[in-house]
Amino acid sequence: MRLLIAAALAIAAVPALAQSAIPNRTIIEGAIDGYIRPAFAQFAEETGALDLNVAALCATPSADALTLAQNQFRSAVTAFSRVEFIRIGPLGVGDRLERLLFWPDRKGIALKQVQGALAEQDATTTSPETLQKKSVAMQGLVALEYLLFGTASDDLASAAGSYRCSYARASTALIHGLAETITGEWHDDTTVGVAAALLNPRPDAADYRTETEVLEKLAATMIHGTEAIRDQRIAPIVSDSTGTPKPRSALFWRSNMTAPALAANFAGLHDFFVAAKYPEAIGTENAWVAEGAIFEFGNAARATSAITAPMEQAVADPRQLQALKYLVVVTKSLDTLLGQNLAAALGLSVGFSTLDGD
Amino acid sequence: MWERRAFLKAAGTGFLASLLPQRAAALATSELVFASSTLLPSGSFGAALITETGTLIANVALPDRGHDVTYSPVSGRAVVFARQPGTFAVVFDPQGREAPLTIPSVAGRHFFGHGAFSPDGTLLYATENDFDNARGVIGIYDVSGGYTRIGELDTYGTGPHELLLMPDGVTFAVANGGIETHPDYGRTELNLDTMEPSLCFVDRRDGGLVGKLALAADLHQLSIRHMAVDVSNRVWFGCQFRGAEGAPQLVGYATLDGDIRLIELPDDALRNLRNYVGSVARSAGGDLIAVSSPEGDTILAIDAATARPVFTAPLKDGCGIAPDGGGFLASSGLGDIAGLGGSTAAPHRFDFGFDNHLRRLEL
Repeated sequence: MRLLIAAALAIAAVPALAQSAIPNRTIIEGAIDGYIRPAFAQFAEETGALDLNVAALCATPSADALTLAQNQFRSAVTAFSRVEFIRIGPLGVGDRLERLLFWPDRKGIALKQVQGALAEQDATTTSPETLQKKSVAMQGLVALEYLLFGTASDDLASAAGSYRCSYARASTALIHGLAETITGEWHDDTTVGVAAALLNPRPDAADYRTETEVLEKLAATMIHGTEAIRDQRIAPIVSDSTGTPKPRSALFWRSNMTAPALAANFAGLHDFFVAAKYPEAIGTENAWVAEGAIFEFGNAARATSAITAPMEQAVADPRQLQALKYLVVVTKSLDTLLGQNLAAALGLSVGFSTLDGD
Repeated sequence: MWERRAFLKAAGTGFLASLLPQRAAALATSELVFASSTLLPSGSFGAALITETGTLIANVALPDRGHDVTYSPVSGRAVVFARQPGTFAVVFDPQGREAPLTIPSVAGRHFFGHGAFSPDGTLLYATENDFDNARGVIGIYDVSGGYTRIGELDTYGTGPHELLLMPDGVTFAVANGGIETHPDYGRTELNLDTMEPSLCFVDRRDGGLVGKLALAADLHQLSIRHMAVDVSNRVWFGCQFRGAEGAPQLVGYATLDGDIRLIELPDDALRNLRNYVGSVARSAGGDLIAVSSPEGDTILAIDAATARPVFTAPLKDGCGIAPDGGGFLASSGLGDIAGLGGSTAAPHRFDFGFDNHLRRLEL
């Protein structure tokens, strides 16, 4: 059924082959200054606030302090969900992304390791220096969510949660530290910075040889974002292979942030698309490509806002489950628009083979 | 369960009608015919038969994106496999004498996009994923029994991709890419930290492991994906590097004696491959090996005897390569075909894009 719907919605038009209507550099600058830098700065700010909130909770445990920390966790998740698709540059270095978000985690490794640490009161999780040397699955947002929202997280409201809070504090320090590092690197304006590599491609460069190649990477970044939404977030919940939804395979179900994180994923892609001035670059002849993308982002926003219940109930409600499945259709349509059609309209070779090879 | 009825209904409806009389004439007179999966301008998918002169002979409609094509000159049947994680393969007759037939994947398995016929054409083999166990298998299909699946062999690894039958007719070379995927996670690579790629030789008669070859442990994120056998029976392979940083060598060869090694490509040649080899092909004589990188818009030909580059050719989004009379014919995701290295094929652009592989059919 899923495929039939997708086929029915597949866009039958083909853009007139063209070039960008604005200088390539304007697109690259728009992406960096208009979106990437402020969005990572926001992520650093929210994780900084989270670190402070969790520190305050540990210092003076109370139900109110726990609620504040939990709410700030949600804000940090939203900020992260807006930048996680920007895997070119600093976020993609080493295992930073996995340290921030160990996902997908089909075998529940993070859960087992965090529960193991809690059971043993493993002291090496209570300082950032020692936690950093442990499994990446124990360090990031997935682990932190369990600490703040998982079984017995109410302990955090009293002295009973002292160990758990120290672990959470070490985690927020690492998350905030990474967010600061990544943001700093994106704001590096020197010749060795990532911005310079993107803005001044050279034929002998190991990363970007031409402006066209940079544009192709930026376009591919958006497609990898839609693919991650579909394959790593929605598909595990829908579970086509068993035919039975698996709400506990959802990312951030404990904090009820599954749908808001999805909404932020789509909103981030939308804002990136606009900030990089793709609608202007596409030009009037192919304006339908940008209009189509904006239309689909609107559909995504409506569908995610329809998923309001906790995941367990949401997948049992035909309307909310349908909204989730509909988001798959939206991502596929966006793949066509932001992949093939945008590439054709800008004269890029983000082709059939390059986009997601095999 | 997966919706197989949709595939069965949608697949294989477009072939006979599209084999027009003038196209049939082209097929009859053409010496070289090539097949590839395609993306059509409408956004739908197919498998196309083309000639090196740029004639489209036929298109087989597919319900979703296809990947590689294999062909049996004995039975005269070709099979296009769905791209991973694929749930169908479509058998078709390039001569258009018979309607296409869809093979659905069985429960608990999906196709990985590649396969091969037995030399006598009676059995079809396909690389598949036993996804709940992250175990690679080779599905065995009985051609005369309507392509019923009659068994499977182990690939002795995870994430098998291309499968080749060695010239001895009994030994498979299987590229176990090492990457774990599960249909509930689409194309997400689930084990990049712990992946263990290998190139395995498997006896197709009993499934016995003839040899399992792996590169050095520090190259465990170098996914071995595609292969071609040269004139001296060496199995050349191309890799895709899945690590976050670095640019290791990407091309090597393995032998049935148990040798496996990467060749040393010069810096510029390696850089232009962009950590990604999309396909590997041998020349008609087997003395040249070509590798492609759609990421680097490059085709690189290597002398099999000396392991040295012979030429590079730029081709935007170029990935498919197949032996042409004197050299290679290459295809691109943008719809281009181009003759390289002695091929006389003139450049031509079709109005559809080619998937990663181009196969020459010995009709």
